[in-house]
Amino acid sequence: MRPRDPPRASVLLDAIEAELTPTHAVGLPDNASAALFALLERHPRVRLVPVTREGEAFAVAAGLWAGGKTPLVIVQNTGLLESGDALRGTAVRMGVPLVVVVTYRGHARAAERTPVAPGGPLTSEVLVDPRLDSVALLTEPTLEAWGIPRFSYGSDADVAQLGAAVRRAREEARPVALLLTRALA
Amino acid sequence: MSGRLTKDELLAPLARLRGDAVVVTSMGVVRPWARFSTSPLDFASADSAMGHTADFALGLALARPERRVVCLNGDGSTLMSLGTLVTIAEAGAANLVLFVVVNGTYELTGNQAIPGASRVDFAGLARAAGIPRVRSFRSRRAYERALPALLEGDGPVAVVVHVVPGSEPPLERAAPGEPPYLSVSLAESTRRLRAALEGAG
Repeated sequence: MRPRDPPRASVLLDAIEAELTPTHAVGLPDNASAALFALLERHPRVRLVPVTREGEAFAVAAGLWAGGKTPLVIVQNTGLLESGDALRGTAVRMGVPLVVVVTYRGHARAAERTPVAPGGPLTSEVLVDPRLDSVALLTEPTLEAWGIPRFSYGSDADVAQLGAAVRRAREEARPVALLLTRALA
Repeated sequence: MSGRLTKDELLAPLARLRGDAVVVTSMGVVRPWARFSTSPLDFASADSAMGHTADFALGLALARPERRVVCLNGDGSTLMSLGTLVTIAEAGAANLVLFVVVNGTYELTGNQAIPGASRVDFAGLARAAGIPRVRSFRSRRAYERALPALLEGDGPVAVVVHVVPGSEPPLERAAPGEPPYLSVSLAESTRRLRAALEGAG
């Protein structure tokens, strides 16, 4: 395992099973999470619940938790931004311990272009720069504003981050985001 | 003008027949439902996210397939997340009964007309989304005759009921005068429902 190898979906899913033991995975796939969805589609113990829009995922997950189950949510960062009030009004407001796997579209290009890396100044020039994907610039500031703790996962070596995310979600009865900074293989 | 039910005509038969079903209410039926029921299996989707009550109910139904879950959703709320109808059909939650309470307005904010009021065919939307059992009612007698069967058998079921708009003010949790299931935070209500379901097996 080398740090620059892409993270493997199988390793992440094994860690998810070991640390979270989810009963349901709710969300929408993208290129970065496709390998994880492929594994979940045929998973013997985790039921995949596809939704039409990411906001639905947080409310479905909240209902699953209220019903005694352990949901996992998987969305792209674009869908996360679309989901603001759904996330606030369900999983957050209901105090649901929830791990949200967020694929981080645009992270690599943004990270290469300091000082406009994630967390950098959001000037109008930066936000319209075609060499950058503005969703990458807005993801972490948005999570910060919404009070969602975040953990970074960019290689198999980051597997401990998943455990930390699960513990934080459970200890504080709140949703936490696991940011997938690279596409899963 | 076609007929409509009152909210009491909608809710009273449901309260008699709900058995051990979970009942999730939203918007203009939150307070009226509390006049008919104080079950620990009642849940008010209030102080939450408008448009996502049916999603929440779907999650409950998937979590508890042995128990019926009834969701009393509004027409304005349904319009906010039409894709949920597809998600419900795709998930195939056989124990979910989704009511769309059609009054044509956003009642809690002063009865402003919803987009497409009197034009949108909610039963048609539900059918087109793939929900296998769909009924629509404008008369009390037809509704009361059909309701027992709609609460039995495999779903998901969509029940569209046209009602007379009321004049409910905005919902406020933990405020004096609100019904018991609004007396605590949304988080506490969620924990209580989870505990009630765990206790009920």
